[in-house]
Amino acid sequence: MAESQFHLRIESHPILDFGDREPLTFTFDGQAMTGREGDTIASALHANGIKVLGYHFKTGRPRGYYCAIGNCSSCLMIVDGKANVRTCTELLRAGMVVETQTDRGMPDVL
Amino acid sequence: MFYEPDIAVIGGGPAGLMAAVTAAETGATILLLERDGHLGGQLVKQTHKFFGSEKQHASVRGIEIADILSEKLAGLSDRAQVWTGATAIGLYEDGVLTIEHQGRYKKVKPKKIIAATGASEKYLSFPNNDLPGIYGAGAVQTMMNVHGVKPGKRVLMIGAGNIGLIVSYQLLQAGVEVAAIAEGLPTIGGYMVHASKIRRAGVPILTSHTIVRADGTDAVESAVIAKVDPFWNVIAGTEQTIPCDVICIAVGLSPLAELLWQAGCDMLYVKELGGHVPVRNEYLETTVPGLYIAGDLTGIEEASAAMVEGHLAGLEAAASLGFMTESHQEERQDCLEQLRQLRAGPVGEKIRQGVKLTLNQESSREVNHAV
Amino acid sequence: MLYETGIVTDDLLESVLPSPGRRARGPYAIIECFQEIPCNPCTISCPFGAILPMGDINDLPELVPDLCTGCGICAGVCPGLAIFIVDESIGDGRAAISIPYEFVPLPAKGDTVSAVDRAGNHVTDATVTRVSGVKKKGTPLVTLSVPLDLVHQIRFFQQDKQLAVSQPLMTSEKEREDKQSLSEATLICRCEGITIGDVRKLVEEGYTTVDEIKRISRAGMGPCQARTCGPLIADLIARITGVPVEDVEPSAHRPPVKPLPISFFMEEESDVLT
Repeated sequence: MAESQFHLRIESHPILDFGDREPLTFTFDGQAMTGREGDTIASALHANGIKVLGYHFKTGRPRGYYCAIGNCSSCLMIVDGKANVRTCTELLRAGMVVETQTDRGMPDVL
Repeated sequence: MFYEPDIAVIGGGPAGLMAAVTAAETGATILLLERDGHLGGQLVKQTHKFFGSEKQHASVRGIEIADILSEKLAGLSDRAQVWTGATAIGLYEDGVLTIEHQGRYKKVKPKKIIAATGASEKYLSFPNNDLPGIYGAGAVQTMMNVHGVKPGKRVLMIGAGNIGLIVSYQLLQAGVEVAAIAEGLPTIGGYMVHASKIRRAGVPILTSHTIVRADGTDAVESAVIAKVDPFWNVIAGTEQTIPCDVICIAVGLSPLAELLWQAGCDMLYVKELGGHVPVRNEYLETTVPGLYIAGDLTGIEEASAAMVEGHLAGLEAAASLGFMTESHQEERQDCLEQLRQLRAGPVGEKIRQGVKLTLNQESSREVNHAV
Repeated sequence: MLYETGIVTDDLLESVLPSPGRRARGPYAIIECFQEIPCNPCTISCPFGAILPMGDINDLPELVPDLCTGCGICAGVCPGLAIFIVDESIGDGRAAISIPYEFVPLPAKGDTVSAVDRAGNHVTDATVTRVSGVKKKGTPLVTLSVPLDLVHQIRFFQQDKQLAVSQPLMTSEKEREDKQSLSEATLICRCEGITIGDVRKLVEEGYTTVDEIKRISRAGMGPCQARTCGPLIADLIARITGVPVEDVEPSAHRPPVKPLPISFFMEEESDVLT
């Protein structure tokens, strides 16, 4: 995993400086991963080479990130036990438990 | 009972920021709502230098413009309150605005509202269009320019409008290969200077080409593109397979007008402006009195025009509450003149036609479906 | 041609080249801006008045070669990176071209790079003779020493030579699959898993507004609330029925604009003051 992470992080850029951002550890389906301060859950997963964020409840087709601004809801995942979290806009925090979602998700007030 | 700021501005992108700064400078109290965690809207992803003239920060990068405007607003914090992580979720006919602010439900009743909600990206239907690895152009920009993550190794760009061209260039700058840009129209829609700088970096721009389908099991592995005739029919035998792990969709934007529909504004479908837009007068007030609009919501255009519209809407909304500076007339005329200039050339022709339609309130194409 | 490929053609180049006498005299700017767009930083940047003021911001820039010193300020401010500085007065069959360059790493003086043409194809190897503007606000300019007769072919360079070689980008393939069934299976509503075929069937049954399709199929009722599929469904209805898309009745919009948990509405703060 470490290899793909370094591969997809932009290390030098002619205009932007991403600086030394604090590493944050989290788990994805039980697997330990590292993101960086300022990442969303989805960007951290992407940097770790994870493109499939879930499977559609009806068609079973893989779901990935699409709009990145909280519009399309293609990136819904289970985060710390809570379903339907928009991972493209939800900021990553250390210790988060992130899981693939394969159904519509349970209502949170039950 | 409600919190009643003079003016609520919905959206903290170039139009909303300009509107908030302008209105606050006249003395009005402002509540600015931004759904993201920070101000700037799409400006924060724009690493390229802007076109236009000095008044619209020409030759300054979008990311820097976002900082300039945010700082100006911060300097007016005695009057201008900013809520980030705040999505306007409902706008009712009695003027109540409901908001999700960092997980909490809030209601406010501003005296005037400036909606600068921006746009959402258009989607494209082709087989396997839902495979992971197929991303909107905005998403690719966010991933690269905000989070510092490359979307993949080799990208096929769909669309040669300014967004497709600019994002292709930004991909090259981030060290990502761009296999080609496919554009369905017979000519490039974006600025030629953008096209030329990508072409000389070795990226082919294939006009009259469309995406036929994507292929891959759990994520994109390749795409098939083909030539199209002037009626967008695929010409048999011209199919080519492009190995790629990312397909970036940059086929245009639609104004994000849900709140305006809810409020009961007269809406009009104007193809030239990207979809349904609110009918308004020259000073950007909609058919719902006290509800103003600015930016891409008024019709899809460059950010330079969005800033001028924000300025104009800010001036007008404040003036309608009596916050009028001595130079009001002059400033208003200057905004109208800037818009006229930005739209004056051949590339502004569609916008000119579209705007003309929206100002015609007697139009037979007018539609409004109240809730 | 320019509008189909993005490549500036010879006749366009010819139209902005100074006279042979001026070209032999010293460095000059060549402004490859051939489309009227609202943009004027170059005219304002020139300290010598060599780029004429524009009557209209959409005018094409006009260079007065006799006033131009080839200083490169305009090339550093042009948002389109469309201005190059050419010096054909060096002698010995050499010329210099300065190219705005916004990539990392910047090459160093003395490096050999692959000079490429307007389509990105390798023309010749070239030596970097100067890298300027690195610390200033403007775009850095990289100056290459190139053969005089090639100077107007060269407009960019690659440090990694492999990138400059035109490679076949794709492989041809005959389509064998049944295109019709593939496109019918194309998803139109990602959230609810509704295909083009599903919508077509409903339209053919007589449901011709976005709301009708939505209520029967759930297309547009998922978590994105039709932001992704709404315009596509309207377009599809228009195509199948032959009705112009502006006459397809759009769906009604009701609050909230995005799905929120029920618990959210149970914690209302109706009279918030800050």
